[in-house]
Amino acid sequence: MNNLDKYNQVFVKTFSIKKEKLKKLKYNSISKWDSVGHMSMISALEDSFKITFEMDDIIDFSSYEVGKKILKKYKIIIK
Amino acid sequence: MKTFSLNNLELLEYQPNRPPFLMIDHVTKVMPGKFAEGYKKLIKTEWYFPIHFPGNPNMPGALQLEALAQMLTVAITTLPGNKGKVTHAISHQVKFKKEVKPGRNFVIKTKVNSWNRGICRGIGLGFTDGELACEAEMTITIPEILKKFLPKK
Repeated sequence: MNNLDKYNQVFVKTFSIKKEKLKKLKYNSISKWDSVGHMSMISALEDSFKITFEMDDIIDFSSYEVGKKILKKYKIIIK
Repeated sequence: MKTFSLNNLELLEYQPNRPPFLMIDHVTKVMPGKFAEGYKKLIKTEWYFPIHFPGNPNMPGALQLEALAQMLTVAITTLPGNKGKVTHAISHQVKFKKEVKPGRNFVIKTKVNSWNRGICRGIGLGFTDGELACEAEMTITIPEILKKFLPKK
């Protein structure tokens, strides 16, 4: 499984959403990506990629696309 | 971290609910961030017994669940820096097994499964007459901590 598959799988599982809808996904754009969903998704990404997010990155992680840029800081390239 | 107990006065520093809605009398053992145990004495004059139900008094399930959630809260608010902080329920899943009658102790055991960035996931068990009366999976939060980690809208 490549990084994109792993990244997508976290969103699909956490938010029970179809892969085709991920590109436009933003915080609070669906009911499951609320405050608790945000923390579940962050924890799932940390487990999946074996990283620990800095607090500022958790706050800045406001969409599916922004998340890809944030993961670059942790040397994880999503493409 | 060491375990300790909280009497009914010390408990008030860690649990914001007050009688008659405080559903714990005594915390017999707490290890902050790990578990909390204790009990509520169900005296016959508890406010809900005459109305739930006339002729068959028993502790409402919603209040049993509340007791478990209040105890889980203590396991978190006893962590350094959390004393006095307000907690909110996020989601609870509960099963009821046995009626809880007046004149007994309602014994409560809770365990923290995870505590991270303001969210606590845990389980709780309630006992009466030495038998399991209810069990719950609970998620609670300290909003003041959780808010610090959320994207700005």
